[in-house]
Amino acid sequence: MAIVNLQNVTYKYPLTDSPVLQNLNLQVNEGEFVAVVGPNGAGKSTLCYTIAGFVPHFFKGELTGTVEVAGNESSKSSLHEWVLNVGLAFQNPFNQISGAKYTVFEEIAFGLENTGVPRDEMKGRVEEGMKLTGISDLADRSPYSLSGGQQQRVALTSILVMQPKVLVLDEPTSQMDPIGTREVFGVIRTMAERGMTVILVEHKMEWIARFADRVLALHEGQIILDGKPREVLTSDLLVEKGFGISRYTSVARKAKAMGLWKNNELPVTLDEAVEGFKK
Amino acid sequence: MHERLSYYVKRDSALHRLNPLTKAVLALTIILITFFNIWYWTAHIALLFFIIPLCFVGRVYREYFGTLTRLILPTAGFLFIMQALFQPIGETVIYQFWVLDVTQESLAFAFLVATRIAVMISSFTLFLLTTHPSELMSDLTRRGLPGQFAYVIISTLQILPQMQAKAQTIISAQRARGLDTESTFLKRAGSLLPLVGPLVFGSLVEVEERAIAIEARGFTSTHVKTSLHDVPDTSLDKVIRWFLVALVIITLMLKIWLS
Repeated sequence: MAIVNLQNVTYKYPLTDSPVLQNLNLQVNEGEFVAVVGPNGAGKSTLCYTIAGFVPHFFKGELTGTVEVAGNESSKSSLHEWVLNVGLAFQNPFNQISGAKYTVFEEIAFGLENTGVPRDEMKGRVEEGMKLTGISDLADRSPYSLSGGQQQRVALTSILVMQPKVLVLDEPTSQMDPIGTREVFGVIRTMAERGMTVILVEHKMEWIARFADRVLALHEGQIILDGKPREVLTSDLLVEKGFGISRYTSVARKAKAMGLWKNNELPVTLDEAVEGFKK
Repeated sequence: MHERLSYYVKRDSALHRLNPLTKAVLALTIILITFFNIWYWTAHIALLFFIIPLCFVGRVYREYFGTLTRLILPTAGFLFIMQALFQPIGETVIYQFWVLDVTQESLAFAFLVATRIAVMISSFTLFLLTTHPSELMSDLTRRGLPGQFAYVIISTLQILPQMQAKAQTIISAQRARGLDTESTFLKRAGSLLPLVGPLVFGSLVEVEERAIAIEARGFTSTHVKTSLHDVPDTSLDKVIRWFLVALVIITLMLKIWLS
């Protein structure tokens, strides 16, 4: 049973002529970890906003087709009910800090205060969330004094503790180093295994290949590929349409053209590339 | 650099344990009484025998004396000199400076005004030093202050230093591209123009993103909000508050009755 269900979704921002999403269909099952890749302007962020209810409730504009999450239709619900089911964290961590709180602990509790979670449960959830994302030692710091990567972890934790059914993440690791990225992908994977549905926009192909269940390639507002990470990320179509691909895929692709790559399948991660070249 | 965004100093004291509203009422009471009590020495007594001992009770005397020397004494001193020189009252000339007379009366008046201002700043300083802004806001929200209103106040307090830092970054960036910020006044004023665009439009874009972020965290939720901090309001708090309110009423009545 699909928890996220988009049928023939077309969306145009106000004051623009061409639609950002065009006749888009998408079904995501409960507990599935779906990654979305695509070049700039493909509509990735708009897709995130659509699933998270900000399109059309916040951005207005023209939305046709139906957006359903957990059986509710977004155009028929109000945004403040919708955000209880769908959590959204996006790229710029600085603007995701509420500005109303003085410590990281309070910042993470902000969403729980707003939605009326009792105090004891709130504290438990915040502590557990911080432990999960590895920021327990930042609890008493001011959210503004943190680095971009730390702020992104705070932003992610703030949404995780609200325990949404569907988690929508728009480049949540853009300001993190490789170690931070790996840890956060691990956290997202754990959440998916616990039954949270994850929709993640990300450019870091190797990490997608390692952690995601399924990859969508978005181009000019349409899904042009949908499948297992390896199939999608090594597809020739991505290169034709100007997507960024993993450096290991590019190397193997060149090597294949020169007859140095013997496998049929192209690699996405370092390990796969090493294995392939050994043969 | 932005680690400390409020004046609050975390200590354990009787004053810290008071309800934030009680402390706010206390600060206002001290100010109102110093300004409206007709007795000349009220302000001085309030400063010496209430505020300073309270700083010791609240264990924030070091921070208070820091503010006293850096802010309160210079402000009060400046006011004292200005009032003493320019207040055209009294006959008993003590000192003449150019065309200005310093009289016994103007000196006394200047001393009173300076002390009153010192009491006012001190009172607020003491309040800010011992009251956590989030606790104040959760307490006021619980008492019926709209959440949006509390958010506007507290986020403004926090965002101002961020805006300053951003303005500085934009200036540096423009300078690196050859913007003149160090010549004549007119040129420098003109060179502020390229700063305004990025700062204002940048802030507008940010407002949109921040609105999305807080909306995503249920800011407009219709649930009854809960609060992370348990802000106790004891019967002692209530007694103190009513006592203070009574004091203010008596002071105001005396003022009206005797004048």
